[in-house]
Amino acid sequence: MSEIGKKIKGLNVPGILIGDILLVVFFSIMNENFFTSYNLMLILRNSCTLLLTSMGLTLVILMGKNDISVGSVVSMTAVIVAVLINKGLLVPLVLLIALAMGAAIGTINGILVAKLNFDYWVVAFSSMSIFAGLALVTTDGVTVSIKSDVLDYIGNGKILGLYVIIWIVILLTLLMIFIQNNTKFGYDVYSIGGSENVAKVSGVKVVKVRILVYMLSGLFASIAGIAIACMTNSGSPSVGTDYSFNAMAAVVIGGTSFAGGKGGIQGTVLGTLLLRILASGLSLMGIAATWQKAIIGLVIVSLIVIDVLNENRKNIKGLRRVYRNVA
Amino acid sequence: MSEVKEGVILKMTGITKRFPGTLALDKIQLTCERGKVHILLGENGAGKSTLVKIISGVYRRDEGTIWYDGQEVNFRDVRETMDAGISMIHQELNLLPDRTIAQNIYLGHEPMKPGQPGVVDYKKMVQDSKNLMGSLGLDMNPNTLVKKLSIAQMQMVEVVKALSKEVKLVIMDEPTSSLTNREITKLFQIVEKLKRDGVAIIYISHRMDEIKRIGDQVTVMRDGQYIDTVSAKDVELPDLISMMVGRKIEKMYERNHCQPGEVIFETHDLTGYRFRNVNIKVRAGEIVSLSGLIGAGRTEVAKAVFGREPIEKGSFTLFGQEHKKITPTKAIKCSLGYLSEDRKTEGLVLQMPIKSNLVLASLKKTFKGGILNARVEDRIGKKYVEELRIATPSASKLAGELSGGNQQKVVIGEWLETGCKFLIIDEPTRGIDVGAKSEIYKLLDKLVNEGYGILMISSELNEVIGISDRVYVMKDGEVTGELDRDELEQEKIMEFAVGGKGGTE
Repeated sequence: MSEIGKKIKGLNVPGILIGDILLVVFFSIMNENFFTSYNLMLILRNSCTLLLTSMGLTLVILMGKNDISVGSVVSMTAVIVAVLINKGLLVPLVLLIALAMGAAIGTINGILVAKLNFDYWVVAFSSMSIFAGLALVTTDGVTVSIKSDVLDYIGNGKILGLYVIIWIVILLTLLMIFIQNNTKFGYDVYSIGGSENVAKVSGVKVVKVRILVYMLSGLFASIAGIAIACMTNSGSPSVGTDYSFNAMAAVVIGGTSFAGGKGGIQGTVLGTLLLRILASGLSLMGIAATWQKAIIGLVIVSLIVIDVLNENRKNIKGLRRVYRNVA
Repeated sequence: MSEVKEGVILKMTGITKRFPGTLALDKIQLTCERGKVHILLGENGAGKSTLVKIISGVYRRDEGTIWYDGQEVNFRDVRETMDAGISMIHQELNLLPDRTIAQNIYLGHEPMKPGQPGVVDYKKMVQDSKNLMGSLGLDMNPNTLVKKLSIAQMQMVEVVKALSKEVKLVIMDEPTSSLTNREITKLFQIVEKLKRDGVAIIYISHRMDEIKRIGDQVTVMRDGQYIDTVSAKDVELPDLISMMVGRKIEKMYERNHCQPGEVIFETHDLTGYRFRNVNIKVRAGEIVSLSGLIGAGRTEVAKAVFGREPIEKGSFTLFGQEHKKITPTKAIKCSLGYLSEDRKTEGLVLQMPIKSNLVLASLKKTFKGGILNARVEDRIGKKYVEELRIATPSASKLAGELSGGNQQKVVIGEWLETGCKFLIIDEPTRGIDVGAKSEIYKLLDKLVNEGYGILMISSELNEVIGISDRVYVMKDGEVTGELDRDELEQEKIMEFAVGGKGGTE
């Protein structure tokens, strides 16, 4: 293996990076407008809100649970931001309320799952439905436009040639990767996802960590909601509808296992990019958005099949080893 | 390590623990000294694991007092015992396969960077792991993912993990069960080192040879009761064995031994996951037991014969037909029935009525054309409730409402309905109370007298001796002995099972 190959393996970056590169090469060949600074910037910009949503979700999935309510929290936050700004509240206050709401929803989900031992799917479905509904109720189902220079600057302003929002997402991503890889909290998330029982007998505070992870998931969904409001200068109650599914897709494509304990945010970044590269490339090739959904589904299934085949091969090897050991 | 290197560190008296329906521990006492290895000895189910789980904070006692390190203590959870310097090496591996060796060793007590609360110092962790493993004579790269290790290496990581904090008392629950000789030697060197450092060790083991090799004291337990504590140096192994098993056989086993018929089941060098070269046979009209300790490979043999795990080598003959490969569906067609040891999850659908459970394994046969017929189901339900004397007012009651013994009868009925003539029964009376046990034994006796053949897997020696026509004993995946009805003695079985003296043929 080449030095670079070894390094990549050492970084534990999934094969998804190669997938990203191959797609970029493929679309660049297929369409001359793909590999342009304008389009690449657009892809990055379009990745921001999805990455924000899937970052928190990555930690939830990493510890062996799932939270499909994130999309509803995205809608809810976007709507709340729009309504409150239009009521004349100060921007910092509005942002604070929106973030607090996301964190609170996450915390409640976390308490239900971790402390009261509700089934996490039931919690996620109920929560998804409740907040999707509340978002619609808040604006009577219509999109509310926002007039705020500050928010517009966050969403559409540029620093050093990059959108402000991209800078924010880069900083938050680095921070989250640091937390995931280098803190006790990050370690605990991996331990719990690897095996709750092992974590317990090793003295990890399972319930506390679980609630915290859910809180982060809600918090990041609300950051995504704020970002969308800033970028579109509006709050639409259905804007987050696709986010739950796409965020899950980004996490899984990024190599985080639903079984927990394996993967991480670095993979999710690549997974998010892959989805956005795919969407951009397919649009440029003139393929309808409706088809894109089906194609994304196919991509996910094939990745999972490859993953399962890989796992099986390893398991068989593992069994042989166990047997040899006994013999 | 601790300053004090001698004297009592742990003293437990009158420890009692009840689980629903059973008295797991009955006034147990145990005293451990610093720098000594205290061996806990007893059959499966004697209560050793329950006792050490009370020490390590996994369970809480119902009665009794514990003095630890000079004061009376009342630990609430694992965290507290860990902080108090008690560490446990579990029998089952408690590791995260997708994390590195270093991350596993320091799991739950990762070293932090000074001045940066919450930030783990991975470099220090790797260095400390390296030093720690070095001091224990192990050479592994701390950055290796645990899933890449052999089982024996994993076990050693487990040991290192237990010693990665300051310990005063280490509990080892059958640590050598998956180690090779080389690693056992290494482990014993570690034990010696711990002794020199004044650490007390509680060591659970089934292996007789280990008692003399590392033990200082031996406490024998049986059926949740304290039997005796003796010095490991002075005691004779046969005495220990009879202390472990020394019960009189009660009157609950009544057999009408019949003249066995032809051989209906025979294995030929059967080899698979966790067992190899197994040659056993069962004749019609016989109850044959597969005895041995938990993990000896008995259940694995049964699963392979029933097609739930692959056969790697060899074959078996069932009613004259030779099989090298088999699936559960085919096994049932060949008149084989398999009653899992875990009847609540693998044998019954608890939320379904008794009668529906009875036809579950034979739906195709009972209902022609795939359409359920309530009248047929009712008839079958009634038939087995009467024949097997299942204690219920009606076959329409839910299986989950029955007692353990009656649930077992339903499972047996389910297999009889498939028309099978050879039954493999794994732990037929686990979790069944004494009165109901003899009912099950009577039922098994009745079946063999009707020409059925039964292969029973049981960890209860009394039951093996009480109702078997013949017994095979397994140890570490191999059959180490065969005993006929008139040679059945607990001591003989135990010798084959643990290899105390001349265990292997």
